[in-house]
Amino acid sequence: MRAAAAQRTQTSSLTYLLCAVAWFVPGAGHLWLGRRQKGIVFLVALTLMFVFGLWLEGRLFPFDMEQPLVALSAIADLGVGCPYFIARLMGVGRGDVVAITYEYGNTFIIAAGLLNMLVVLDVFDIAKGRK
Amino acid sequence: MIVFALFVSTVFAVLTRDDPKEQIAFGARLFGGFIGAGVLIGWLLYPLPL
Repeated sequence: MRAAAAQRTQTSSLTYLLCAVAWFVPGAGHLWLGRRQKGIVFLVALTLMFVFGLWLEGRLFPFDMEQPLVALSAIADLGVGCPYFIARLMGVGRGDVVAITYEYGNTFIIAAGLLNMLVVLDVFDIAKGRK
Repeated sequence: MIVFALFVSTVFAVLTRDDPKEQIAFGARLFGGFIGAGVLIGWLLYPLPL
């Protein structure tokens, strides 16, 4: 099943839908393509990484275009998809700048988002039949 | 650092390898590399003042 799903080249619109789903729910793109083991690992690892970052008093950065590094961090944070919006709705991720773990928390949150972007690119390659 | 290295090496290993045995071998090497590099850089920076 996995091989058949992986070898099937997706249509263009389905590819972009797959990428959107893969972005919104980490690992969902791989699960959709029948790569269950990878999908579950991404879902668990990236979500845990994001939650760990919040627990370490990390901050969900605002889209402040006057501060380019803050804006770039915000884009990276958004990369994790659904967990980002859940955290925003719950009002967590304000970040405690005086906490000793603040920078560690930011690193976890940003890395989770960037890794999920790589996962989305992997889904794109699989859907296009390149992998 | 260890937890971060564990997460990142797990995701990279699963992302870049398809065979579970290869994933474990590559992930372990990556994890060791992260820890080794972290300790080495920390040791090199130790004499520098804050």
